[in-house]
Amino acid sequence: MKTFLKKFWAAMRLPSTHFSLGFLTLGGFICGVLFWGGFNTALEATNTEAFCVGCHEMEANVYADLQTTVHWNNSSGVRAGCPDCHVPHNWTDKIARKVAASKEVYGWLFGTIDTEEEFEAHRLTMARREWARFRANDSLECRNCHSYAAMDFAEQSQRASDQHERFLATGERTCIDCHAGIAHRLPDLSEQARGPASFDDRMPFTRRDGIPGTRLQVYLDGH
Amino acid sequence: MTVKMTRREALKAKAVAAASAAAGISTGAEAQNLVTDREITELKWSKAPCRFCGTGCSVMVGTKSGRVVATHGDAKAPVNRGLNCVKGYFLSKIMYGGDRLTQPLLRKRDGEFHKDGEFEPVSWDEAFDIMAEKFKATLTEKGPDGVGMFGSGQWTVWEGYAAAKLFKAGFRSNNIDPNARHCMASAVAGFMRTFGIDEPMGCYDDFEHADAFVLWGSNMAEMHPILWTRLTDRRLSYPDTQVAVLSTYEHRSFDLADIPIVFTPHTDLAILNYIANYIIQSGRVNEEFLRENVRFQRGRTDIGYGLRPDHPLEVASVNSAEANESDEISFDNYAAFVADYDVDTVSELSGVSKSKLEALAELYADPDKKVMSLWTMGFNQHVRGVWCNNLVYNLHLLTGKIATPGNSPFSLTGQPSACGTAREVGTFAHRLPADLVVTDPEHRATAEQIWKLPAGTVPEKVGAHAVLQNRHLKDGIINAYWVQVNNNMQAAPNMMEETLPGYRNPENFIVVSDAYPTVTCEAADLILPTAMWVEKEGAYGNAERRTQFWHQLVDAPGESRSDLWQLMEFSKRFTTDEVWPEEILAENPDYRGRTLYEVLFENGQVNAYPLEDIDDDYANDEAQHFGFYVQKGLFEEYARFGRDHGHDLAPFDTYHEVRGLRWPVVDGQETPWRYNADYDPYVSEGRKIDFYGKPGGRANIFELPYEPPAEAPDDEYPFWLSTGRVLEHWHSGSMTQRVPELHKAVPNALVYMHPLDAREMGFNRGSEIRVISRRGAIRSRVETAGRNRVPRGLVFVPWFDATQLINKVTLDATDPISKQTDFKKCAVRLEAV
Amino acid sequence: MRQSTLALNAVAILVLSAGIAATQSDVAQLRSAPLAENAEAPPMRAQMDTDLRQVRNYPEQPPVIPHAIENYQVDLNANKCLTCHARARTGQSQAPMVSVTHYTDRDGQVLGAISARRYFCTQCHVPQHPDDPAVTNTFVDIDTLLAEEAARGAQADD
Repeated sequence: MKTFLKKFWAAMRLPSTHFSLGFLTLGGFICGVLFWGGFNTALEATNTEAFCVGCHEMEANVYADLQTTVHWNNSSGVRAGCPDCHVPHNWTDKIARKVAASKEVYGWLFGTIDTEEEFEAHRLTMARREWARFRANDSLECRNCHSYAAMDFAEQSQRASDQHERFLATGERTCIDCHAGIAHRLPDLSEQARGPASFDDRMPFTRRDGIPGTRLQVYLDGH
Repeated sequence: MTVKMTRREALKAKAVAAASAAAGISTGAEAQNLVTDREITELKWSKAPCRFCGTGCSVMVGTKSGRVVATHGDAKAPVNRGLNCVKGYFLSKIMYGGDRLTQPLLRKRDGEFHKDGEFEPVSWDEAFDIMAEKFKATLTEKGPDGVGMFGSGQWTVWEGYAAAKLFKAGFRSNNIDPNARHCMASAVAGFMRTFGIDEPMGCYDDFEHADAFVLWGSNMAEMHPILWTRLTDRRLSYPDTQVAVLSTYEHRSFDLADIPIVFTPHTDLAILNYIANYIIQSGRVNEEFLRENVRFQRGRTDIGYGLRPDHPLEVASVNSAEANESDEISFDNYAAFVADYDVDTVSELSGVSKSKLEALAELYADPDKKVMSLWTMGFNQHVRGVWCNNLVYNLHLLTGKIATPGNSPFSLTGQPSACGTAREVGTFAHRLPADLVVTDPEHRATAEQIWKLPAGTVPEKVGAHAVLQNRHLKDGIINAYWVQVNNNMQAAPNMMEETLPGYRNPENFIVVSDAYPTVTCEAADLILPTAMWVEKEGAYGNAERRTQFWHQLVDAPGESRSDLWQLMEFSKRFTTDEVWPEEILAENPDYRGRTLYEVLFENGQVNAYPLEDIDDDYANDEAQHFGFYVQKGLFEEYARFGRDHGHDLAPFDTYHEVRGLRWPVVDGQETPWRYNADYDPYVSEGRKIDFYGKPGGRANIFELPYEPPAEAPDDEYPFWLSTGRVLEHWHSGSMTQRVPELHKAVPNALVYMHPLDAREMGFNRGSEIRVISRRGAIRSRVETAGRNRVPRGLVFVPWFDATQLINKVTLDATDPISKQTDFKKCAVRLEAV
Repeated sequence: MRQSTLALNAVAILVLSAGIAATQSDVAQLRSAPLAENAEAPPMRAQMDTDLRQVRNYPEQPPVIPHAIENYQVDLNANKCLTCHARARTGQSQAPMVSVTHYTDRDGQVLGAISARRYFCTQCHVPQHPDDPAVTNTFVDIDTLLAEEAARGAQADD
């Protein structure tokens, strides 16, 4: 391996005997542009809603969820599609996300999620991954469109502006803490599904199954 | 100390002041005194069943100075234990709509009745004069077939009873039908075919016992909210409980669904047969149960669609004349038949994944799971609705999961007294009280005997059912017509081709009794102002056979009178000589020259109870007017039909004391589960289960196939239309649209459609569109979000909205057996306005 | 073909509606058009979002929701309403806590959590739209009734 590398390096160092320097530099540049353009086109092609909902699992579940929400229909007609929220907008993060996403392609190819039931079974895992990502990057994808500085409190309900002043401005909470479920149906967050240890009062409230167990026996005895 | 108000606080205070001013509350500088004097603050609280759906919640009604000032759920009532739905909580306001009718109104021109005249107030005398004139002229000219009445599952028990008696015995016409025909007729026919006795064998206690719930075409979350609270309680409190919800679109009940199933319209027939096949194939048939309690029947197929006889579909159908017939077969015949409904075939036909079909079938097949099946209009409003009812009973009979706590095929009811009045009293065109029918000579004789009327008074001919009445009005066959307690112009199918032309046919005289000026009133010739709910003493019977009473708590406004008063008072205007044939009078000369009032209501039975029997704490306008305890007399006479015949009712006075009782009430004991020896005194000695409505105590399992719907989408009309209700409004909205909070909750009907269908059609959420069928069109707005999620190719439009009469669009195809309309399926196209 | 049937339909509807329109009296207060005609469907309005509590008609009335709840998820998976209105969350949200009545089961037994039968909030609590009802309501609440009676009593004493 080491000798191969040495030989390769030696060959690379030799000047060209057939092509002009101009051809080589210009040709190299053009090839580079073509390659880069092709890569980027391909990348961008995977970055459209049409690509995202190209597989049935996405179209029948999360995409269907989105269509009844404010990110699909709203007064100003600005629509957020899949990549707007799920793909980082700066390049290095985007590439990193795309590499990570190859796992999803694997899942698709090998049928990890074929039916609605299987999708529902994985919903919590997938949602948690996204919530963790949003929390880690301080809801960066939300903030690509929504910034605290640009909020007009006169246009918000008092309830909303109070909460934003109190929690968002102070950094005590990030967008996803309160707005989880804004674009997709929330997964089963019951204690059974989440496991009791993961109680998180930032997340949407959920039922606790087996409510008879919560009956206050003391009250009964006392009366 | 000065208190500084921030700008926001100041704004808020200002808004609060404005809001309170709007609500009529003074927030002036002077402090409001808290009134603590008990004599002033004490309200009179009385029980009454809710005025709305068939759940039959009990409410406590608070009155003060002759007005209802508050209502809340009755904590003592077993049905609802203190809860109400949003409609029930606003019952206090339903009687106080600003446009209550307070005087009879007659269409007049130049001082006389004129079909095209304008409505003018008239006296009750003048109203009854013209009404009697028109009814008499029609009876003379056309006989009993020329008069008709359309009543309701919202009639009180005695109102329905008096109406049935007046028409069936007085006018000798069976042309009387309730709006329950639109609602429960398929359920009734299902019960009669399978069990031979109407109404569920189980009760609401099943909710607390079942391990699995299957909703077949029922959006209980909106339509039976309090039963939904009981189901929710069970599901969430006991996590092993499972809920399956089947519908042609996703609605609020899907919020609780472990197994959510959206199927292609009409394929529920195939799914039901698939489950039967699954039970058989997986060897989970309860053979002992089948041996003792069941026989098998092959029903007639190709039975038509209840359209007008010249419709190509009717001409083409083979067995429409004998749609209700069947022949006995063996279990093996039946098993071979359902074997065709395998999972691949049915999954393909219904669009439901195999895994979901199997999960659903397993709920029924698993011998350790107690299953409650629930259905309402998804089954009943179906051109094969009776079949659907029969097919779901098949599943419970095959597995023996029936008539025991938690094992319950349960037909939910739409109206507060669809069971108590329409069905038990028998206000249908073919029925008499307590499951008797007019076509049976013995049954007619029983009725005549109890009513103390001459033999031959009750006619044999089955009258016109709801849809046929409208056709007969249009064709000029029925000319004098009375509508009480319902809004059939808005509720009946195919308004533009049938209902409206029928009501406005110049040959016809249409009388509508209502509390409010509905669209049906607008199409009428005479409007009678009517007392409602607690403005009269009443009785309703709910879906679990529970009969509930209430007292008159306030007075009706103006000259409004109850339906009962109207019926009895109108009967005074006819003599037997005018309406009965000479042969009956010749044989029974005692009946000559007497008024119908005398022979029907002053018969020594109805007028047997004196005014002293009335509770001193409550008014009773009808009793005071007629001089005897009318309601008690009618009830006790009616109860004779069912006592000792499986329909026993308790004594009248008992019902004013209790929160209802479930019939049969034998020796003071109600019956929660019928056909079960542990609970039902009618079960024969030595049997555990006895379906005593059928010979040998055996219920029928029916072999019935999938057959296509009457109309399906095509290139010209590419969308399915399904209609239905919303939680906040009751039926046609005539009461709830007049409660501001309910109106503002859901102001108008909307067209629920898939967002991608909307995008393809170029519609936005909120776009105004036309919904057009081969029969008519409405204008409405597009809703792509909200409480329903519909699949591609289907739209859902609720029918409560008087401004958007979706029944201009629907098809008047009915189940050929039950004659109930399929309001859930027709084809439409959509156009931008 | 399609156009011709359309035109025929239109003519039929026109003829019919002309015949009926002539006979209509404006009785049905909820409607603005004659029965055979279709008026413009009222525009869809967003739910009111003022956060101003509305006075109840009587103490037992479930309060209407003074804010928008569009797309709120209340199902097996989660309950958006309780995210603010549950006892434990009200400190954060400053929203009113669900009434104590919601902590009892069917038998009146007090539970340690909200009763499952109260889980679906919108069965009783509904948001409001800014539409004006076509018909007024003359319901009078108990305070007004008592005040009116007191005023009448005072007049009678004079």
